Amino acid sequence: MFSSVFSGAGFWDAGVWLLMFVFVGGYAFGIRRMGRSDYKKGTDQDEVYYSGNVMPDVDVFTVPASSSYWGFREALKGYYSRLSAMHTGIATEYVGWFVLTAAVILVLVIV
Amino acid sequence: MNLMNHLPALALAVPLLAAFATPLVAAISPKARNIWVTCVSALVSLIVFGILYRVLTMGTQIYVMGAPSWNISLPSGFAIPVRIILEVDAFNALVAFIASLSALAGAVYGLKFVRKFTGLEFYSALYFLLTAGTLGMIMTGDLFNFFVFLEISSVASFGLIAFWRDRPEAVEASYKYMLVSQLAAQLVLVALAFIYGRYGVLNMAAFSTVVQPDLISKVVLVFLLVALAMKCGSFPMHMWMPDAYAEAPASVTVLLVAMSQASLVVLCRFCFSIYGTAMGTAVIPWTLIVLGCASMFGGVSMAVVQHEVKRLMGYHSVSQVGYMLTAFGVGLLALGDKTAMDGFGLTAVAGGIYHMINYILYKGLLFLCAGALYMAAGSRDLDKMGGLARKMPVTSALFLIAAAAISGLPPFNGFVSKWMIYESVYAVHPILMVVALVSSVLTLASFVKVYQTAFLGPERPQFAETHEVPRAMIAGMCVLAVAILVLSLFPSWTVNTLVRPAAEALVNKASYGAAVMGGAL
Repeated sequence: MFSSVFSGAGFWDAGVWLLMFVFVGGYAFGIRRMGRSDYKKGTDQDEVYYSGNVMPDVDVFTVPASSSYWGFREALKGYYSRLSAMHTGIATEYVGWFVLTAAVILVLVIV
Repeated sequence: MNLMNHLPALALAVPLLAAFATPLVAAISPKARNIWVTCVSALVSLIVFGILYRVLTMGTQIYVMGAPSWNISLPSGFAIPVRIILEVDAFNALVAFIASLSALAGAVYGLKFVRKFTGLEFYSALYFLLTAGTLGMIMTGDLFNFFVFLEISSVASFGLIAFWRDRPEAVEASYKYMLVSQLAAQLVLVALAFIYGRYGVLNMAAFSTVVQPDLISKVVLVFLLVALAMKCGSFPMHMWMPDAYAEAPASVTVLLVAMSQASLVVLCRFCFSIYGTAMGTAVIPWTLIVLGCASMFGGVSMAVVQHEVKRLMGYHSVSQVGYMLTAFGVGLLALGDKTAMDGFGLTAVAGGIYHMINYILYKGLLFLCAGALYMAAGSRDLDKMGGLARKMPVTSALFLIAAAAISGLPPFNGFVSKWMIYESVYAVHPILMVVALVSSVLTLASFVKVYQTAFLGPERPQFAETHEVPRAMIAGMCVLAVAILVLSLFPSWTVNTLVRPAAEALVNKASYGAAVMGGAL
C-alpha cells in the first residue's frame, strides 16, 4: 500500500515527498519562530511599505487576469488569431467540424 | 434472494426510480427533498462500491435483465444472448464508482448552490436521470441499451445545462450541445444498424466474438469513434464543451464531466475489448493519438488566455481528454504485440485509466470551487475577483489541492498518471511526450493565474461582506478532495489494486467475450 510505483523506467514514492514536505515545513516554521515577537496586528506595522508613497487603489496595482501572460499571447499572435477564428460560437460550424472530422477519418480508414 | 447479485441492476434502477419519485417527495417540503437527494445519491455510491468490491474479489460480473436467473446469459437453445445484459469488469466498475462519487458530491453541493431558484424538483429529477444515464452507459453490455442510456443522459443534460433559463447564454449553450449531440446519436444509431444488419447481434460480448476487419466493421468503428470522441470533448469537435460547462450550474458540471468520461469508457470498450486486433488498421490508433495531441495543446492554449473561470476550466477539460486519447491510442498500437504491450502498451492504458479517474475527481472539484467563487463574487470574471483566500480559506485550500493535482505537481495523483503517460508515449515517439509536457506546463500556468487573481492579492472593498460558502457546498467539495488525497497518498495501492486490473480487463478481449458467451460461437 505504501510501496513505490514502478513504470519500467523509473519509480515514484509519495512517502519520500511527504518526508520532504515535513522537513521543509519544519525548517520554514523554525525560521518563522526566529522573527520579532513585538509585532502587533492592526497597527502601522501592518501597512505595506510602498517606497514611502501612499498606496494606490487596489485596482491600479493588481494585474487583472485578462492581462496575464500578455507576452506569451503577443509572441504567439499568429497562432492565436487562427485558433480564435475557429471558435466562432456559430452552431452550424460546430456541426461542420464534426462532419469534417468524420469524413476525414472515414477516408483515411477506407483508403 | 442474495441482494448482492442484483447490485448492477440496482445501480441503474435506484436513480431511475428516484428521478420519477423526486417531484412527489419535493411536494412534501424542501427539507424532505434535500434529505431524499442526499440519501439516494449516497445509496447509489454505496451500491456501485459494492459492485466494484465484488468485481475486484470475484471477477467480472454479468446481470441478465428479465431472465429467470440473473446470470444465465445463454438459455438452452440460444446461440446468442437476446436479453439486455450488464457486464461489469474491473475497468467499468472503477469508472462507475468514481462517477457515482462525483454524482454524490454534486448532489450535496447543489442542496445550497441552487437553493434560491425555482423548479428544484425537476432539477433533482433530471440530475438522477443524468446519473442513471451515465452509469448505464458505463455498465451496459448491450449495444442498443447503450444508445438508450446515451439518449437518457443527453436529454437530461440538455435540461440541466439550460437550468438558468433566464440567461440566454445558458439556453444557447444547451441548444448547441443538443445539435451536435443529436447528430452524434444519429451516427451511433446508424452504426448499430450496420452491426445488426451485418452480424445479427446487439450484445457487445457476442459482437466481440464475431467481428471481422471488413469494410462495414471499419465504417461502424469510425462512426462510433467520431460520435464518442465528440461527446468526450475531443478537438476539433470540442466547441460545445466550454459553452456547456460554463453555463451549467457547477453542481451539474461535475456530473457532465463524469458523463463525458462515460463516452470515453464506451470508446475504449469498442477499441480494445470488442474490436482489438480485428480493427485491421493502424489508422484508428494514430487518429486517437493525433486527436489527443491536438486536444492537449489546443485546449490548454485556449484555456491559458481565458479570464472567465468556468470557461477556462472548460477548455482545460478538452486538454485533459487529450492525455487520455493519446494514452489509449498508444495502447492500441501495442495490441497484438506482446513485447510492445509488456514494454509500454499496458502502462499507457493504465496511465489513461488512472488519468480518467483523476480527471473526474479534480476537474469536478475545480468546477465546484468555481461555483463557490461565483456564489461569493457574483461573477465568473476573474478580472473582478481578488483577495478571496482571506474570506474563503477552505475553498482556497480545496482549489489549491485540485489545481496542483491537475497540473501534475508531485505528490498529487495527477503527477502519477501523467508520469505513466509520459513514459509510455515516449516509447512510440518522443514528440508525444514533449506535447504532453508542454501542455502540462501551460496547465500549471493557467491555474497559477486563476489562483493568483481570484484568491491572492489585497482585500477588495466590494468583498468586505463576503464569507465562506455554506457547509453543504464544502461537504460536496470535500468528497472529491478526500478521494484525490487517497489516490495521491497511496499510488502503489491505487495502481496495483484498481488501475492495473482495470487495464488488464480492458485489453483482454477474450475474457470480455467469454464472460457472456462462455464457449459459444
